[in-house]
Amino acid sequence: MRRSLLHLPIKRSAWAIRTSNVTRIVATRSFASEASPNPEIYDIVVVGGGPVGLTLAASLGAARATSHLKVALIEGMNLASIRDWNPTPDYFANRIVSLIPSTVKLLRETGVWKHIKQERVQSYDGMQVWDGMTDARVEFDWNKLLGGREEGTDTTIAHMVENIHLSHGLLKRLDEFAVKPTMIDKTKVEKIEYGQMTEEVDMRDWPIVTLSNGQKLGARLLIGADGGNSPVRTFAGIESRGWDYDRHSMVATFKIEDDSAFPKFAYQRFLPSGPVAILPLPGNFANLAWSTTPEKVAHLKSLAPEDFVAMVNAAFRLSYTDIDYLHNLKSGVVEETKWRESVTKYPDPPQIPVRITEVLEGTRASFPLKMKHADKYIGERIALVGDAAHTIHPMAGQGLNAGVGDVYSLVKSIADGISHGQDIGSSFTLEPYQSERYLPNNALLGFVDKLHTLYGFESGPLVPLRSMGVEIINRDWFGLKRFLMSQAAKS
Amino acid sequence: MLGRALRVGAPLSHSCRSTVLRKLSRHSAISNAVVQQLVSRNARNNSTSAYQGVGGNTGSPNGGGGVDPVEVSHFNALASSWWDAQGPSRLLHLMNPMRIDFTKHCLSMGIPSEATADAGGGKGLSKGLTVLDVGCGGGIFSESVARLPDTAKVIGLDPSEQVLAVARAHAKKDPTLTGKLQYVNSSIDDYTPDQQFDLITLFEVVEHVPYPAAFLQTCMRHVRPGGWIVLSTIARTWSSWVTTKLIAEDLLRIVPRGTHDWHKYINEPEMRSFFEKQPGWGSQGMLSMGCLYVPGLGWRAIKGSEDYGNYFFGVRRDL
Repeated sequence: MRRSLLHLPIKRSAWAIRTSNVTRIVATRSFASEASPNPEIYDIVVVGGGPVGLTLAASLGAARATSHLKVALIEGMNLASIRDWNPTPDYFANRIVSLIPSTVKLLRETGVWKHIKQERVQSYDGMQVWDGMTDARVEFDWNKLLGGREEGTDTTIAHMVENIHLSHGLLKRLDEFAVKPTMIDKTKVEKIEYGQMTEEVDMRDWPIVTLSNGQKLGARLLIGADGGNSPVRTFAGIESRGWDYDRHSMVATFKIEDDSAFPKFAYQRFLPSGPVAILPLPGNFANLAWSTTPEKVAHLKSLAPEDFVAMVNAAFRLSYTDIDYLHNLKSGVVEETKWRESVTKYPDPPQIPVRITEVLEGTRASFPLKMKHADKYIGERIALVGDAAHTIHPMAGQGLNAGVGDVYSLVKSIADGISHGQDIGSSFTLEPYQSERYLPNNALLGFVDKLHTLYGFESGPLVPLRSMGVEIINRDWFGLKRFLMSQAAKS
Repeated sequence: MLGRALRVGAPLSHSCRSTVLRKLSRHSAISNAVVQQLVSRNARNNSTSAYQGVGGNTGSPNGGGGVDPVEVSHFNALASSWWDAQGPSRLLHLMNPMRIDFTKHCLSMGIPSEATADAGGGKGLSKGLTVLDVGCGGGIFSESVARLPDTAKVIGLDPSEQVLAVARAHAKKDPTLTGKLQYVNSSIDDYTPDQQFDLITLFEVVEHVPYPAAFLQTCMRHVRPGGWIVLSTIARTWSSWVTTKLIAEDLLRIVPRGTHDWHKYINEPEMRSFFEKQPGWGSQGMLSMGCLYVPGLGWRAIKGSEDYGNYFFGVRRDL
């Protein structure tokens, strides 16, 4: 039996009988004077069932102080396909996330990590990052830095997991809770408005969410985990500022040559049009994340598979002038790169990734890149997490990690509010969340944004300077490298 | 810096009502003089009749004498700011979690055995604590203690009907409070409950009472054996005189003169010795905790600070 902070469910309406997972809420009382259909009252309504929204639901269910809360999660897509996800060993999805140790720690604490199939997770201890113009290079490698693996030290930089895999694990975890959140998928938010005043109750500052199926949900606390164009943020009248990068990120999954002789590294080369990265997956698989102009992305998508493969191999080996030229070829890239690579001097693996051999069919995709930061994360009975609060350039792989950091902080604030008898929707409950997360997120957004700008120059005074900076970092002068690496491990 | 130092003592040494009025006098466009007059009248109401030890009238500000429209409009202005997160009562809101923590700490030392058996008294709650919050103001503490799962019933008591209207209006925003929290417009002297309480709270009240000993003894009668009186107030020290009297009232004049009566402040050792003399009190629990508002960090419990400024005090009636 569901027990809630609210001992006051409202009249059962027609759809509550139709939908099996809603009928669990037993109606005991009705408001005669309110217009029907009455909203179903929830402690927390989460809009958005992506990895951040699901992590939030899982964390609320796992934390003792919040596990009794009556939670609803609304998602436009069909979650059944994620729940039923049944992977094969010869395929990896193109959308992957990099989970830093602090994120994995939270997933462990909330009991999610045990649902993640470890054979489909690739962790890595090292990163090779270099400048496409000057070849100035930073090696981030805990093992080298520490002179070998120390006992008990986690030297992992990040774990690569497919998005769908993570969401699948989160959904499995949600099924285990005694008090399960009400999952409403394949349903869109049609309208959010404030409630009404009746004889018994004043809901004029309660957000009432109307769904595309006609269902109405009253939220003591409405949480937007609903992405960069967050309807919840729009409802709350919170401005989000930033800009489009005029760059798209191109993703794909590859088969690669045998790399078992080398440690698993992540590789990122900064080209003036944007960074191109190869991220490790288990076995002979790898994933691409290439940020470049929309025109170049369109070109890459239009290439024949073998030409596309040749193009990506070239992106880690040839000069930027060569790469720029190759972007003009509609075909014959294989022959052209073969010749150009034969006359170019480039390092060997593991300084650069091993050659990719094949792109998995249907894995080429792209999405536009933005930098956006909401003016604030909270309002009365409103909180924003993840991309709804901040959208970041993916080059550092920190977007989801920042979102999970938000979730952790927000759940902590809610739990603290409950133990002190506060209304969990009140700004006094939510303020600690905002003050804990806003500045770190702002710093991260700014840092990544400045990297984007800094590496956007093909020439000029900043080019040698950035190489000098990279050199200083790489030699670990002033302990800068250790600092950066330990910062990257924390969220 | 002065403003900050002042906040440490000043707002908390007031009943909520006069705090808000005082702040209002700083921000409001309405003539300061008028507000000052109102505030001192309120303070008078509060101290001369509301909590009088023996035979006072009820402290209803509009009782008998009609309704002053200016005053009503002021309280209407108040209604919107009492629960305003950035409003004049912000420091009281921020202090509230500490009130809950201290109260929980006291109760963890023992509660009346009935509290776990019969204390519910209806609405389907079979057990839990009964609480009387004396001088509840807008209901900041009353609401939060009512939301705790171990609480069965909370009565918020305040002599001002206008302030209780704010409290009632705000409680309506949370359906879980219905049936659990009730506000009563009365002074403690005129209040005749049909049962004793497991917990009586007096937050920022005793420093406004002309006869604190008689006032406390009246409260004590309503505590069930094994139950608690938990209060917070401010010590009568050179530092509290500097912050609340000299700076706030005489130099900056952001607090109307005469709002505070520093001589009414009670020191922790005085409070302790008062309860030590009360037969049947304190042998099973008497404790205090000093606290300080640290700008940037919020309220912090600081050992030994009960001798300087704000402090909490809890005392248990012997079982």
